[in-house]
Amino acid sequence: MSTAISTNKADKVNPAVKSTAYRAKRRFIIISLVPILLLFGVFAFLPIAWSLGLSAFKYDPLSSNAIFVGAENYIRMFQDSIFLKSLWVTFKFVFIAVLINIVITLLIASAIQRVRIPWLKNGFRTIFFLPTIAPLAGTAIVWNTMFNYNDGLFNMILAKMNMAPIQWLSDPHYALYSVIMMTLWADIGYNIVLFIAGLDSIPDMYYEAATLEGAGRWHVFLHITLPLLRRTLLFVSITTVVSYFQAFPQFQIMTKGGPFNETRVLSLQIYEQAFSSSNMGYASAMATVFLMIILLVTLLQLRWGRTQWEH
Amino acid sequence: MHFSKFMLIIAMVCVVFAEAGCSSSSSSGGDTSADPQGKVNLVFWSHQEDAIVGAYKKLISKYQTLHPDITIEYQTFPYDVYSQKLKASFSAKKPPDIAEFFGTWVPEYSKNGLLVEIPDSENVKKEYYDAPLGGYLRDNKLYGLPLEYNIENGGMLIHPQMLKDQGFDHAPSNWTELVDYAKKLTVRENNVIKVKGFDFVSADNITFTFLSLILQQGASFMGEDEHVNFHSPEAEKAMSTLVSLVADDKVADLTTFGGELDTSDYFFQGKSAMTYRGPWTIAAGQNNYEVDDFEYVSVPSFTENPPVFAAESGWGLAVSQKSKQQEAALDFIQFISEKDNLSTWNTDTFTVPAKKEIAENPEFLKNNPHLKPSLDILALGQWIGPIADRDFFFKQVNDNFQLMASGQQSVQDGLANIEQTINDNQDQHK
Repeated sequence: MSTAISTNKADKVNPAVKSTAYRAKRRFIIISLVPILLLFGVFAFLPIAWSLGLSAFKYDPLSSNAIFVGAENYIRMFQDSIFLKSLWVTFKFVFIAVLINIVITLLIASAIQRVRIPWLKNGFRTIFFLPTIAPLAGTAIVWNTMFNYNDGLFNMILAKMNMAPIQWLSDPHYALYSVIMMTLWADIGYNIVLFIAGLDSIPDMYYEAATLEGAGRWHVFLHITLPLLRRTLLFVSITTVVSYFQAFPQFQIMTKGGPFNETRVLSLQIYEQAFSSSNMGYASAMATVFLMIILLVTLLQLRWGRTQWEH
Repeated sequence: MHFSKFMLIIAMVCVVFAEAGCSSSSSSGGDTSADPQGKVNLVFWSHQEDAIVGAYKKLISKYQTLHPDITIEYQTFPYDVYSQKLKASFSAKKPPDIAEFFGTWVPEYSKNGLLVEIPDSENVKKEYYDAPLGGYLRDNKLYGLPLEYNIENGGMLIHPQMLKDQGFDHAPSNWTELVDYAKKLTVRENNVIKVKGFDFVSADNITFTFLSLILQQGASFMGEDEHVNFHSPEAEKAMSTLVSLVADDKVADLTTFGGELDTSDYFFQGKSAMTYRGPWTIAAGQNNYEVDDFEYVSVPSFTENPPVFAAESGWGLAVSQKSKQQEAALDFIQFISEKDNLSTWNTDTFTVPAKKEIAENPEFLKNNPHLKPSLDILALGQWIGPIADRDFFFKQVNDNFQLMASGQQSVQDGLANIEQTINDNQDQHK
């Protein structure tokens, strides 16, 4: 009833007043957006455009000349075994880490969500979220010491169990998995919190109905929790995939791409080409390809994960 | 209309803030000149290493006492970021007046006209050994003065007691003896090496040893057009020998390669009997580990030829072309390079002199007796050559060496890989 009255009032407003109000609203929106758009323009879109242009040049920052090479940087890229390896390592890292991340975080979030004592629930949430507060670079340094062959925590544990020590970061069979382990430890807190929020938002009535129908826990999880969590899952998977594609500090600090380029992710390869080898043009071409890959993967995820479901 | 003006003002304010943020002046970089009182301010950058920083400070203080009209603002950066910091400052056209360079970095700067030529180059270069000078020379002109002779070859750390325990009363005098000693000195427990007999598996030493073994056979590793040549029989023999020390003789392994500690750290912890390393590691043993039950001795030649070796140009100083006080900056690096000052610097930093008159001075040897094996062979050093990307070069050798030593790749394939990737990289920098 009240809605109907207010609508009627609005209908009676003078068109000139309505137009002024509309302009004021638009002005407010634009004023709010201009600074951030300028910031994006200067620090995000301009560098991307600059990088796109630079990818057609052979450019050493110490030299005053940039030589136009057209598509040569792109052609070279696909004949460069280190680039191809880094592409493979990046996809391998993203696939394994994202998959484990989502499975683990969903399981932990489901477990925490079932805790009915508020302080205990908050306690668990805090404990799992704590590692994400630490800067990734610092975490990587600490984990480096734990992976140490001689005095590291993990080899001390293996020694206690009468097992041979492992070269966690310099054995090509283990290096990538060691970095994945550290990344998961440092990162799962975000997704746990997001999943808990998603789980909390599912109305209890669905579960009550399922219980009345005699559905088992696994059945409930598969047919109620997962479908109703799809929006959260989509958000979590996209942000995690994008952030893992861009993973850099842990690789730079812990392995520097070694051994045998087994941990050379694309972001590290781009950084080294640009700033260590001074091949800015080539690095820009790689960055362009990287941007396209992330864009494509994100669009595919959005397409596959879209849902009309509301609750 | 009012609205548009308002938006324009907002946009301008944002642009001004952004511009101000991007272009704020910094005390680092070469924004130096004479102040109104005629006092000259110079900015000087170096990497961080306690002994080196201490030695510079001592000489800066001495220089400022002699030149009260000159102030030197000394800034240091961790080694890991120093190279990139330098590149960024030079490419942003805000370099320091004086910068410490590692010799292998210099050609990239000198070919782009970013460094000042040292006056009287022709005569000055005669005062130095060829190997440390290589990186600083371009078209026979000198673009910096080396302070040290970067030598990773020719000397090794040994534990005399470990040798005595195996019945060896002197250091190995030829390559066969070296391998024989190494085998007997290696201690294993359940097939795990507890004490390495001869450790050469470090990021620098694999490459330097490999190149030196080629040179000692009378061959060269540099081909035409600034390309490397690793498909010679000498290169194959050199690499096979190194691979064999790990794969067959098992006197060293790959377990500590790429870790946080240096091979010399393991040596001073008693985890290797003989370790091939530069004399700068002696200071670490004496200062960090406080051990003195070791000796620094010569590594015998691989052949009957003298133990010739490849060396990079070590740390040195150069003046930026952008400096507004080039004359004063040149005067400072010439002051540091004077015999007495440089001798003090070399002694304080435990580095091998690049200047002949210091290395040949008996007084210097008397003050630095551990350096004798290195000082004896300085004239046998050859500059490593025009390597465009030093880190890339060494990484290719190291990566492939590990694959070869662990049996995942043949020596021939490994050498072909190294050669191709390095030559491709060299071409990219032309």
